Amino acid sequence: MSETRTIRTLIVAALMLAAAVLIAACGGGDTVGGGSDEKVTTAKGGKPTGEVTISSWPGYIDPGKNGTVAEFEERYGVDVSYIEDITSNVQFFGKLQPQLDQGQSGERSLFVVTDWLAKQMYDLGYLEEFSHDDLQTVFENILPAFEKSESDPGRKFSIPWQGGLTGIWVDTAQAPEIRSIEDLFDPKYKGRITFLDEMRDTVPLVMQYRGIDPSNASKQEWLDTIAFLKDAADSGQIRRFADNSYTEDLTSGNVVAAIGWSGDASLIGRESVEWRKPTDACDTFFDQMVIPVGAPNTAAALAFMNFVYRPEVQADIAAYVNYVTPVAGVQEILVKRDPELGNNELIFPPPSLTRGCSADPNPPGSAQDQQDVTEAFQDVVTG
Amino acid sequence: MTIGRRFIPYWLLAPGAVWLLLFFIVPMYFMGELALRSGTFETGFVFDWQFSNFPDSLQGNEEQIVRSCWYAGLATILALLISYPLAYAIAQASPRWRILLLFAVIAPFFTTYLIRTIAWKTILADQSPIVDVLQYMQLVPDDGRVLATSGAVIAGLTYNFLPFMILPIYASIERLDLRLVEAAKDLYSSSTQAFLRVTLPLTAPGIVAGVLLTFIPAFGDYVNATILGGTSQAMIGNKIQSLYLFERDYPEAAALSFLMMALILVVVLVYIRLAGTDAFMGEEEERT
Repeated sequence: MSETRTIRTLIVAALMLAAAVLIAACGGGDTVGGGSDEKVTTAKGGKPTGEVTISSWPGYIDPGKNGTVAEFEERYGVDVSYIEDITSNVQFFGKLQPQLDQGQSGERSLFVVTDWLAKQMYDLGYLEEFSHDDLQTVFENILPAFEKSESDPGRKFSIPWQGGLTGIWVDTAQAPEIRSIEDLFDPKYKGRITFLDEMRDTVPLVMQYRGIDPSNASKQEWLDTIAFLKDAADSGQIRRFADNSYTEDLTSGNVVAAIGWSGDASLIGRESVEWRKPTDACDTFFDQMVIPVGAPNTAAALAFMNFVYRPEVQADIAAYVNYVTPVAGVQEILVKRDPELGNNELIFPPPSLTRGCSADPNPPGSAQDQQDVTEAFQDVVTG
Repeated sequence: MTIGRRFIPYWLLAPGAVWLLLFFIVPMYFMGELALRSGTFETGFVFDWQFSNFPDSLQGNEEQIVRSCWYAGLATILALLISYPLAYAIAQASPRWRILLLFAVIAPFFTTYLIRTIAWKTILADQSPIVDVLQYMQLVPDDGRVLATSGAVIAGLTYNFLPFMILPIYASIERLDLRLVEAAKDLYSSSTQAFLRVTLPLTAPGIVAGVLLTFIPAFGDYVNATILGGTSQAMIGNKIQSLYLFERDYPEAAALSFLMMALILVVVLVYIRLAGTDAFMGEEEERT
């Protein structure tokens, strides 16, 4: 009796195992990662209708009732789901990558990511290309400086959204004297400083303060700078490495200064906190609109790109977000509307402001070298 | 007919078996398979029995593993110290109060875990009145802070997993036959003796269950360390998250997850061994 029972149990167990392997075999592709196997397609244009989902960073447009998104919805009869779920390039990509690898966009039709990531995504086959005929308003109004970019010379897959500088937000009520990256390492401010968890922002800034040119830095120099950051983190000088939530610590007064992005004043929401270009370093970035593979309703996404490139619409966006705008004719509109805004150097930076700045550089070398540097940096972030 | 009847137990087992298969064995298979791949994210991960992922994944993470044990252990002890008297008081209250008090324990669960943890970040901000009071009481140094310290993370873990400790302990105390305590006192035991030799052993199953329900999720938690911690408070959960999302080294992340699961399993087995199976079976065992 007990023997038959044992045999029966074994049979059931074997069947379960067989079923598991079968299910696994059906579900699993052979490789994981390594880019999408789908052919790169061109985003389809046409008349925008229906629903569209856009993923972007917090505070990057006015999503309110009378804001830019609502205006777009009204004009085109499109239902926009605008999600502010990107708080860090690397993290957002990490979350979505498995889907993109399967040729799915996570129901999103448009992302806003920084140009180095846009390029990386394109190289992996995760982005659709544009036909310039569908983006006439964009190319009519784009400032000449943005017509080409190093990462996308033909503007095949990325259209500039907004850009800015990475520098220091200083709580002038608590530490008005902070002006440089060097100041951030002053023991006086121990535990009251945050750095960004974006490696391509934080590391180049610290390199410049240490007299290294990020554009020519070797792998060893990246690793040395990261080791320097590790010491500062271990000693408690750096309170934490933050994503876009660095603004919260400034709002609540937990920190006296933070490395941050020039247009985040509205997220911080405190008069006494001001953005400063460090005297010993500077870094610029530009975020790009891209259409992921498998995106539904690309017509609406393309229409959205055209829409935000109308100078009067872009003027609203610039006034709301205070970042650098890539659209011509905006400054004239803003000067008329509000001279202070129209002459704001952070929205319309003179060439002198950004000269010599690094631009979110990738670490040098092969994929493995870059991975080593990323790993070292992550070890500091999760210390 | 008889054949059909013989299979009834298996049919009754089927839903559970299918559940286990779909949501445990299949994911485990995928994770194990992923843990044995090699390569980089850019070129794709290829399956080639890369067993070295397992030792590699531990390298450089020893500190976070030890820290996770400490944090989860301390949070469990704190939760136990808070929960036992609380559960005892609730069980002794009048039925009407009992429902109200139990509701108060469960009520925070109506808000999501994440929001509650973020709320603590506001409550414990450096310049908040709470921190001022703590500084006044000299519990926190004058130039000190609460956020971004180990204390904040342990407190967050304790707070978030407290109900998992209270409820099982409450259930076992509620079943406690108070006449046994009375009998002990009739036989000249002091209150302390009665508690140690009657109440505590009889409520041990609740404590054992509560400790497991608290320690296991607290060990793997990464939310509290992310939100309430700073640069030196990362737990092993943060490491795994970083491997998946930031470094995109899936095989190593899977290997590390596997090892942590094994570690927890060993800890739990040792614990159950020490606590004795009686603690799980409770009175039933003794009656036979």
